[in-house]
Amino acid sequence: MGIKRLDELTAGTVLASDLKASDGRLLFKADTELEERHIELLKRVGVAEADVKADAGDLSDETVRDIEDYVRDFFLYVDPEFEPSLQMFRIALDLTGSAVASGWVLPDISDRRASDVEHMEDLFLRGMGSPDTIVKHETELASFPDIYFRIKEVLEDESASAERIAKVVSTDMSLAAKLIKLVNSPLYGFPQSIDSISRAVALVGAKELSTLALGISAINYFKDIPPELVDMKSFWRHSITCGIFAKILAGTQIGLSPERFFIAGLLHDVGRLILFKKLPYASTEAMLFARENSIPLVEAERSIMDFCHTDVSQPLLQSWKFPEGLSDMINYHHSPMEFPNPLEPAIIHVADNLTNAVEIAQGGMYVLPGIDVQAWEILGIKADPLLRDAVDQYHEQIDIIMNAFF
Amino acid sequence: MGSLFSSSISLRKSVRIADDEFIQLRDFIYEKSGIFVDVKRKYLFESRFSKRLNELGLSNFADYLKYLKFDMKKAEELTTLFEMVTTNETSFCRDMKQLKAFQGNVLKEKIDEQRKTGKLELNIWSAGCSSGEEPYTLSILLHESLKMELPRWKITITAVDLSKAMIKRAQTGVYGDYAFKTTPDDIKAKYFKKDPEGWKINPEVQSLVKFQQMNLNDPLALKRVARSHIVFCRNVIIYFDESMKKKVVGSFYDNLLPGGYLMLGHSETLHKISQTFKPVYHPGTIAYKKEG
Repeated sequence: MGIKRLDELTAGTVLASDLKASDGRLLFKADTELEERHIELLKRVGVAEADVKADAGDLSDETVRDIEDYVRDFFLYVDPEFEPSLQMFRIALDLTGSAVASGWVLPDISDRRASDVEHMEDLFLRGMGSPDTIVKHETELASFPDIYFRIKEVLEDESASAERIAKVVSTDMSLAAKLIKLVNSPLYGFPQSIDSISRAVALVGAKELSTLALGISAINYFKDIPPELVDMKSFWRHSITCGIFAKILAGTQIGLSPERFFIAGLLHDVGRLILFKKLPYASTEAMLFARENSIPLVEAERSIMDFCHTDVSQPLLQSWKFPEGLSDMINYHHSPMEFPNPLEPAIIHVADNLTNAVEIAQGGMYVLPGIDVQAWEILGIKADPLLRDAVDQYHEQIDIIMNAFF
Repeated sequence: MGSLFSSSISLRKSVRIADDEFIQLRDFIYEKSGIFVDVKRKYLFESRFSKRLNELGLSNFADYLKYLKFDMKKAEELTTLFEMVTTNETSFCRDMKQLKAFQGNVLKEKIDEQRKTGKLELNIWSAGCSSGEEPYTLSILLHESLKMELPRWKITITAVDLSKAMIKRAQTGVYGDYAFKTTPDDIKAKYFKKDPEGWKINPEVQSLVKFQQMNLNDPLALKRVARSHIVFCRNVIIYFDESMKKKVVGSFYDNLLPGGYLMLGHSETLHKISQTFKPVYHPGTIAYKKEG
């Protein structure tokens, strides 16, 4: 965020670039968080100024209040005294604070509204398309990628060898390339680099890798959604973020395979993609309705269309014969307690809320959909410091994982 | 990096609403306006109403409920209350495709019918007109359709809204740029004049529209609206629950002249609400016809 004089530096300030003494000698590397003793040292060697990163401490009281009000508006559907909501609020405050300190301008109300829906045409007239008919129209029209079913087959075959799995996955070059990038990303954090699918199968596990491949091939199906309808990049960023959080949360539980949660998070809003394709006008109206009235998108969909994206994902995943456990997580992520075994959907539920919380500082427009107290409680974890740690990990992972996909 | 926000900062900034207070307030709003507030919006309510409680110097919702029910100023407060529960997002020529389909089919049909019978009159009811963009847009469409013939017609657009403040704003007929985000430039140039405050609607467009404050939950008030050839009610019934939707749509049915049309917002539907209307499909819109 620019140059600061030595007397302006405080402990906790982070260097934006390498700090050198007047004779060119390197004192501290970029990204060093300065401590009191570092500052003392700088005084001794006579350094006059340092290039430092934005610090929320530079913000005026008024800006701080604006940020509080701005962020608070996204938390109107969660219990303000519930510990996890409060933690997510504080995380969102800090992230938004540093975004603003780095020059981000808080969007105003008219930004939330701006979107032109005039050119869109729905395939179904209101009241005429139920989730079932909409999905049927989609699945009859377009065939699902062949590779998906071949992966599904090996996934369901208990006796399938690692070799066979590697072979099936390798037949699709772009899929294989994405998988390689993913297993080399911090999502897995393997110390050595993995350069072949068979090596990936060996390290990640056959079932896990097939699940990952299955999810990625499902995503491929939606690559043709026109960008003017919805910003697909931010859609997938939201999905991947939810996947990362879901995987981390699943890691706190005993006996859950975290891969499945990454995929469930990745596809948790898949119903929205069908809505974009079939009801572009109505789904955009729902988005605007949600933004203008500060209500969760899922509620706005119900108001505008009489059903929501999980009502659509249900017949969709069924027609794809998507593995049941994964489908349940996706279909119940807004209502985990309605599912007989709520733990798995509850993880996606919490991850989705946390995703919305971190997106506030990135210009996210949608309020947190609401955290079900019971759903949180069955996770049996403490919000502090777990949520903050999860957000730190997310920051390390997100760009690299986005890069693996797009 | 250290946090600038106190580690004890709380999420709640508002006065807490107890569950029974929320239910009382919700029932009160429903009774007065037909607007149904889901329990999921409880915290949203706390936040919106807290500012108002502060302004009134009240420290809790129980006192606010008393204020709403018994205070000398309760009628005025009701208006403020309504503004807090509804939002008023609208612009001129919102949903151009629907309006074009309306103009080319429904409006054309009605105009031709009236010409044939020699009764050059038309009543349109804009229910939930907000700050006036919709009724003024309808007036502009009539000017565009009838052109030179217009002075020979007797046209009334009855525009009603729950909010007094909205009606007041609508009557001034002055709008900021935001209201024109979906308006074609030629329409803006033809029917609006630059004004120090924004853009002012032309008096001849304004003269067709009669504004009044009205609660769609008040059956007697609805009965006083002159019978209409066309009723516009867009993006209003989404705020109602099913029984209120049925009631309001029933009132529109009663108000319409035989052969009249009800127009809803683009994504709204009478599916599950009314079987009495006949849906007529046009590219870009559905018009609901009262047969007879």
